[in-house]
Amino acid sequence: MNDGPLIVQSDKTLLLEVDHPLARDCRSAIAPFAELERSPEHVHTYRVTPLALWNARAAGHDAEQVVDALVRYSRYPVPHALLVDVADTMDRFGRLTLAQNPVHGLVLTTTDRAVLEEVVRSKRVAPMLGARIDPDSVVVHPSERGRLKQALLKIGWPAEDLAGYVDGQAHPIELDQADWHLRDYQQEAVEGFWAGGSGVVVLPCGAGKTLVGAAAMAEAKATTLILVTNTVAGRQWKRELIARTSLTEEEIGEYSGERKEIRPVTIATYQVITTRRKGEYRHLDLFDAQDWGLIVYDEVHLLPAPIFRLTADLQSRRRLGLTATLVREDGREDDVFSLIGPKRYDAPWRDIEAQGYIAPAECIEVRVSLDDEERMTYAVAEPEERYRIAATAQSKLPVIRRVLERHPEEQKLVIGAYLDQLEELGTALDAPVIQGSTTNKERERLFQAFRVGEIKTLVVSKVANFSIDLPEAAVAVQVSGTFGSRQEEAQRLGRVLRPKADGRQAHFYTVVSRDTLDSEYAAHRQRFLAEQGYAYTIVDAADLAGPGEVNGPDWVDEPAD
Amino acid sequence: MSTEPPATLAAWLRTRSDEQLRALLVARPDVARPAPSDVVALASRLAVPVSVDRALDELDAATLQVLDVVLLAPTDGMAPDALVAALPEVPDDVLTGAVGTLTTRALLWGDDVLHAPDPVRRAVRHPAGLGRRALDLRVQLPADLPAALAELAPDERAVLERLAGDRPVGHLPDAPANGAATPARRLLQRGLLARIDALNVELPREIGVLLRGGSPYGPPRRRPEPAVVTRDPQVADRRAAGAALETVGRIGELLALLEEEPAGLLRSGGVGVRDQKRLAKALHVPEPEAAWLLELAFASGLLDVGGPHRDEWLPTRGYDVWREQDLADRWAVLAAGWLDGVRLPSLVGVRDLAGKAANALSPDLVRHTAPAIRRSALAVLAERPPGSGLAPEDLTALLRWRTPRRADRLAPVPDMLAEAARLGVLVSGVLSAAGRGLLAAGEDGAADGMRGLLPEPVDHVLAQPDLSLIAPGPLVAELADTLAVVADVESSGGATVFRVSESSVRRALDAGWSATDLHDFFAKASRTPVPQALDYLVDDVARQHGRLRVGAIESYVRSDDHGLLSQVLNDRRTAAAELRRLAPGVLVSGLGADEVLTVLREAGYAPAGENPGGAVLTRPPARPRAAGRRPGSESHPAPRALSADDLDATVREIRAGDAALAARRGEAVRQVPGVTTASTLELLSRAVREGVPVWLGYVDAQGSGSQRVVQPVSLAGGFLSGYDERRGENRTFAVHRITSIALVEPDAG
Repeated sequence: MNDGPLIVQSDKTLLLEVDHPLARDCRSAIAPFAELERSPEHVHTYRVTPLALWNARAAGHDAEQVVDALVRYSRYPVPHALLVDVADTMDRFGRLTLAQNPVHGLVLTTTDRAVLEEVVRSKRVAPMLGARIDPDSVVVHPSERGRLKQALLKIGWPAEDLAGYVDGQAHPIELDQADWHLRDYQQEAVEGFWAGGSGVVVLPCGAGKTLVGAAAMAEAKATTLILVTNTVAGRQWKRELIARTSLTEEEIGEYSGERKEIRPVTIATYQVITTRRKGEYRHLDLFDAQDWGLIVYDEVHLLPAPIFRLTADLQSRRRLGLTATLVREDGREDDVFSLIGPKRYDAPWRDIEAQGYIAPAECIEVRVSLDDEERMTYAVAEPEERYRIAATAQSKLPVIRRVLERHPEEQKLVIGAYLDQLEELGTALDAPVIQGSTTNKERERLFQAFRVGEIKTLVVSKVANFSIDLPEAAVAVQVSGTFGSRQEEAQRLGRVLRPKADGRQAHFYTVVSRDTLDSEYAAHRQRFLAEQGYAYTIVDAADLAGPGEVNGPDWVDEPAD
Repeated sequence: MSTEPPATLAAWLRTRSDEQLRALLVARPDVARPAPSDVVALASRLAVPVSVDRALDELDAATLQVLDVVLLAPTDGMAPDALVAALPEVPDDVLTGAVGTLTTRALLWGDDVLHAPDPVRRAVRHPAGLGRRALDLRVQLPADLPAALAELAPDERAVLERLAGDRPVGHLPDAPANGAATPARRLLQRGLLARIDALNVELPREIGVLLRGGSPYGPPRRRPEPAVVTRDPQVADRRAAGAALETVGRIGELLALLEEEPAGLLRSGGVGVRDQKRLAKALHVPEPEAAWLLELAFASGLLDVGGPHRDEWLPTRGYDVWREQDLADRWAVLAAGWLDGVRLPSLVGVRDLAGKAANALSPDLVRHTAPAIRRSALAVLAERPPGSGLAPEDLTALLRWRTPRRADRLAPVPDMLAEAARLGVLVSGVLSAAGRGLLAAGEDGAADGMRGLLPEPVDHVLAQPDLSLIAPGPLVAELADTLAVVADVESSGGATVFRVSESSVRRALDAGWSATDLHDFFAKASRTPVPQALDYLVDDVARQHGRLRVGAIESYVRSDDHGLLSQVLNDRRTAAAELRRLAPGVLVSGLGADEVLTVLREAGYAPAGENPGGAVLTRPPARPRAAGRRPGSESHPAPRALSADDLDATVREIRAGDAALAARRGEAVRQVPGVTTASTLELLSRAVREGVPVWLGYVDAQGSGSQRVVQPVSLAGGFLSGYDERRGENRTFAVHRITSIALVEPDAG
């Protein structure tokens, strides 16, 4: 028996004991083919899925390496059946390849005739295929490249796409690294992406995904279409691109509800692309408006389903997906794989944090006891009203105030889901409120004021969840949220995880009403955060120490390093 | 010895040495019991069709081909030289070996000329895949056969060619509606095919031989030389251990599930599809895997029908013993159960002719040949050195060559090999050390082979802030039982991941745990510090749990009979118990339960203690168990092998009988058994008096007859005692069992 750090489970999860001396080596050996699922304090859980194995194959790893890594680091004998299954699954990738044929155009070829026969007979796939050239290859309609890959993945024979990309219209883009430098992992991510052609780069919020995008553009040196979640995120991209690259304001266009500019680099929102009138997409021309050389998808895990369909037609363009997590709550990870591309780079949050690029965060759950009247209201409320009542309880207000008082010098965000609660908090805390109806201009103004420190506290609704950049928010207080969604949690955590100028610790508070649905949702949140490896502390509101007191915020703070 | 070659099988047998007879008995043990009385009896035993079939079934393809050549010889009797000429491509040593095998088994006899006994001819219906002779088929062949064949239409020739292949018998197609004759029917009319019944035709041997041209016996059937698979034995053993660990874990989980909720017994026997689905879902395995596990548990005697109405599948008492054993022993029980199981688990889900799919554990899956097939397949691998083996298809091909007449029985072999791989007996075509142990020494050998490869049980878990508890290895039974109460299993395998949730904590509280117990348990069981979140969870749930039952009392007295409680409360004798009424049915006391119980008992009441969960404190009832049976008892025990002593005795017996038969003797006196005639007695007393050996026909108490030559010693009380020279024994013969008697005359020569 060997004393490895890894335990291989029957359900293809891998348990990695982090404190083991070999844990680091083992992690880098299994990372290519296993998705990190949970990373709590002692034992991390990875999962080996077919997609992960195919990702590994696409990245050039073979089954032997995978089996070897499992056997070498495993503490206990690895079930033979599991190894066989891994080898079989990996073997399925690459039996079919899509390639350009000088005579026939796009062609699907196989190294295994039986597979091609099976595929050709599949109801789902057959309509996308053209004439049979010889027993091993068949013509594919160029317009079906994306849908074919999607369909092949569904029937378990993922195709390797070697058909190449069009260069697009050249446009000079350089990184302007006068006063900053790409970090090592960002460089690795860009290299990984460029070598693979198309694919997804997984980096935590705050780890500088925008820069990875910019570096990829500098590599492509071609017209680029950037798809982002909303206008504010788009402006953020624009600002970064102007600051970090040779691009000027005139070269970057915004394609949103307000403006319809098409320039060599165009930033469009998901929303405007998916706008339909009379059942038709109105802005599809955008994709053909330029001979794009690169398409960047920001926040791939939020990519709406219609864009998948549109993306299927863009298979000859290079595509870069950026995201903090491959977990999609709609479970369409396989579409991301087949339409945008395999995972090209992945770095776990904790590692990047250890490198000092993300502020270490402390998660604190503050439990508030409701007063008798509130408890009564809660007890007799309709089930669908209960969460709102618990989450917006008046008793939270003094506690929120007290939490904010613990950090008088920090930039603070108060995040909530219910507008009247936010308004109330804004008034009580004397802080501006940003919500869906706040105009973009007003938002920009408030964010700017917050950024320079004129405003210390902002109250924001869930519009702030996505893609705004608040570099100096060191404290986030969550007062209500939508039902403990994991995605939301990752985003909110990202709000406070941006690097702090002086390496201070970030604080992520959640104010929870005790013994209500609110605390049940908090349990989901707690599990998610603990699985991500964050220290999670539960405190009673009454025990919440102020600054300078024992266990107060400055008491637990680690000295900056 | 006479120089004349023996004329019959019996005569030839007589010329065989003791050593050769012994070899014959070893090769065909069915003729040795009960011991044949003499060579003639032996020869007739050897002619029994069942015995011949059995002997032929064990021959390999090369030997059968040699037999075919002898059978196809135009006249009975063939010189070994002619054999060499007939099979020019077969190496001499193979030929010699085959002839040796056949003569040893008396399937061919004769020393200079090989003869085939008639029963063997009858048993081999189509030697070398050729039909019977035209004469036997009563077909008049054309005088110039080659010419007749040359002028056939191509479609007719194609029919003949096909029948000249492996099977000379073909199905006669229905006549087409338009009345046109099919090629086969035209051939029938010309007398080139013979009709053997309403549906089938047979190709006469002569035509087959002609069509085959140069090699009428087909290509030489050499022993296949499959590519040898080699694996590092240590790697193979580690992988086997992986499979073993997995299987043992799964079986444990399966039986734990069935303990909670037994599966129903179908009226037709077996487990219903719904139960199978449920188990598969709970185990996170595909349904066929669940069926395999059920079959394996049953074959190992861990699962059987039980319950109050004998209509449920329950873990057996054997399971209780099993789960306490160490991992290697547990695995050995499963492996041995599988090896000797008479069921074919791979048939689950296979539809029968009526289209009905077989259920797991259904009685329809019993195949009594299964253990023998499993062993013969694995035995091929066991002959190879450790670390080398064969791919499944090569193994099947080799088995088919070894026993071509049993090829139809080999269908389940691929599935059996897959099962062996699942168990860890086999790793990609190579037997593991434990697999070898299993074949050589059964359960103990299997356990020895696996020992040291499987992890030692651990007695701790790692508690994590996300409320998971990770047991980094198989758990000691006690901790596993406790964890089953306080947490839910999330993932299993080498390690087990438990998750503590609100409901699992509540379950523990319901089972009588207190929050303090839980805190203590986690602190003790976890090697890592107990995360704050876990303590909070326990306290949160415990607080809710306690809301309904809180109070600072030591004990309580409760009863549905409120009158009785009033009586107790008002009884002066119970004053020492310091009881007060809490609710109509409840009295409480600040004293301990023991004290209150004592006081009440002394006052003449009959109270019973209650535990915190509210159950009466008696011994907990045993969990339901099926009676179970001993694994493997369903199969027929293999016949005991003939020992060297048995062989010696049998050969001596045959020789003695033979000598008795051959002894020249005077006029025999025959008598009806049981009726002793005066002449018998007279002959016997004369023999005793004159010291002349007598020849006896004798029927023993078991009813088997024999002939003996006995040197009589005395005759008294209806018993003759004497010395049987050839058998080398003194014994007594009941006179009334003697069937005939004659005086042995001294040999003239």
